[in-house]
Amino acid sequence: MKYTPEKLIQFENNVCKLFNKKKIRAPIHLYNGNEKEIIKVFKKVKKNDWIFCSWRSHYQCLLKGVPQKILLKKILNGKSIALTFKKYKIFSSAIVGGNIPVALGTAISLKRKKSKSKVFCFIGDMTSESGIAHESIKYAINYNLPIQFIIEDNDLSVCTDTLKTWKMKKLTFSNKKTKFIYYYKYKNKYPHAGSGKRIQF
Amino acid sequence: MKLKYFSELKRSMEYLAKQRKTLFIGQAVEYPGTAMYNTISAISKSKKLELPVAEEMQMGITLGMALNGLIPISIYPRWNFLLLAVNQLINHIDKINDISDGEFDPRIIIRTAVGSKRPLNPQSQHLGDFTKFFKESCKNINVQKLTKSEDIFRTYKDALNSKNKINLIVEVADFYNEK
Repeated sequence: MKYTPEKLIQFENNVCKLFNKKKIRAPIHLYNGNEKEIIKVFKKVKKNDWIFCSWRSHYQCLLKGVPQKILLKKILNGKSIALTFKKYKIFSSAIVGGNIPVALGTAISLKRKKSKSKVFCFIGDMTSESGIAHESIKYAINYNLPIQFIIEDNDLSVCTDTLKTWKMKKLTFSNKKTKFIYYYKYKNKYPHAGSGKRIQF
Repeated sequence: MKLKYFSELKRSMEYLAKQRKTLFIGQAVEYPGTAMYNTISAISKSKKLELPVAEEMQMGITLGMALNGLIPISIYPRWNFLLLAVNQLINHIDKINDISDGEFDPRIIIRTAVGSKRPLNPQSQHLGDFTKFFKESCKNINVQKLTKSEDIFRTYKDALNSKNKINLIVEVADFYNEK
């Protein structure tokens, strides 16, 4: 299925509605405002490439080909926080930075197997400043591994201001668009978790 | 006196090295410097990947390689060093079956050891034994401690072939020179 920004937004809005109706008894982390950028990233992604995400991964799953019905079933089953599908080569983690060295390991193995496949690893702005991100990005660049890190900057980690807490004027990888790093900024209308509406379960 | 503990470890590693998908990773796998290195010194360089000292990154790499079909033998010379990789071990390797609803079922071998006290005692930060804690904390990792030389080969062979696909195997470094 070919996704437009409108179709992605429609999916998230539907998940939001289901959450508000108390149909999902687990945390959800919704995307919004990055549709054009993420569609652009996925123009480079091939069927046998690998995708590594954090807790916010509905768009990546759809764009990698997970059927909406299957994805929604997982979300309704409370699995939104770490959506992982072997068939579609998607791994997600609810742990900050946790996906990064795992993505690196897959990239090393692809290179050793002389595969043409590539790894795309999605991380947020706070995660991009973590020690594990810096170690892994350094290793990936130095060994010319088949991996790109996509840094999605919404200025926040939960509700914490990333730049202010690190006392930085800009992120280390701010505005980078290289073979290894693709940075973009967006503003999400949804909060870190949930729908923005108080639900009494 | 023949030291069987060490020779059985060496035999086990050479058996693992013969398998097409295995790869030894960690610090001091290509370079000497630890007692564990001596158990893999005869193994071809093509079966080894020396990594920087980055314990958590190493454990993440271990899982990432295994997701793509390799069988990493991830080496941490002491329990105390492995503690730096606990995030990846408990939050990802132990949980991969759960988060993927059983779709991912990687085979992983992790080697660590209780540090040696003899002839030099490296003191408390190098002598930890956390076997009991990890046995209790990991639902999907088979944690085993090698106290008898005669169990070594079978344990590593099983780690490669048995239904328990994720194995954390604990050696006792003093036995390298004593058993």
